[in-house]
Amino acid sequence: MPSSLLNPDQWVNQYADALYGYTLHRVNDAALAEDIVQETFLSAWKARDTFKGEASEKSWLFTICKNKIIDHYRKKARDIVQPLAERSATDGFFDEVEHWTQEDQPADWGIDYQQNIDNKEFYQVLEGCKKKLQELQQAVFSMKYLEDLDSAEICKVLGITSSNYWVLIHRAKLQLRGCLEKNWLNIK
Amino acid sequence: MNPLNTSCKKATYLVSKKEEGKLSWLDSIRLRSHLTICSLCRKFESQTGFIGRMAKHASVNATLSPEAKQRLENAMNHRP
Repeated sequence: MPSSLLNPDQWVNQYADALYGYTLHRVNDAALAEDIVQETFLSAWKARDTFKGEASEKSWLFTICKNKIIDHYRKKARDIVQPLAERSATDGFFDEVEHWTQEDQPADWGIDYQQNIDNKEFYQVLEGCKKKLQELQQAVFSMKYLEDLDSAEICKVLGITSSNYWVLIHRAKLQLRGCLEKNWLNIK
Repeated sequence: MNPLNTSCKKATYLVSKKEEGKLSWLDSIRLRSHLTICSLCRKFESQTGFIGRMAKHASVNATLSPEAKQRLENAMNHRP
């Protein structure tokens, strides 16, 4: 039996924290993250006979967890009734000739953008800024940057058109960049 | 359509398409000529590229509370 390769009694002990951290980073909600971890374990248990031992137990569980997270985005997108077009109007950032407003124009951050930084404060501000994004923007941003899905897949999961997608990514970037500049540059 | 008339709003929109290799030939000329003359949009491109990389890089070292772990254990013990 392939499922004998699995050790379900040890799952909570061995993987719960790692799966929880992974999920929390993507859904920004502690109770929801806990639910997703639980669903992951239960689904994995139900599907135990499909485990062939080609991947490790750990990466198999992470794949199941990742699919649960994408399911969550999908459900969420269905619940959002906000019309997309209204949100894409020229609210903020640019003036009437579509030039940066004085207030929102990018400042110099004084860092090398090619280098990664290892700075706890930066990550905290980034998480805080992500939470401030509108739900659909958050979903699009996470699927693109954290799950590495391409735009066609994201559109399919969320049931949006590709022009909606580009508008959402554009707005998410404008907002995240502005939020980081306001909140991180000051404490840097 | 003079490519030099590309606005900052349009150019920043095109930056994401470029990132995913989805720029048309004409839009790539529009974007390139705008970035040549606009240091603000060049900053936008560098900074948002940086943010995307960092977002991927970041990890949350969260741990479940003992109560939450117990709830998970209970769920697993009652698995069908």
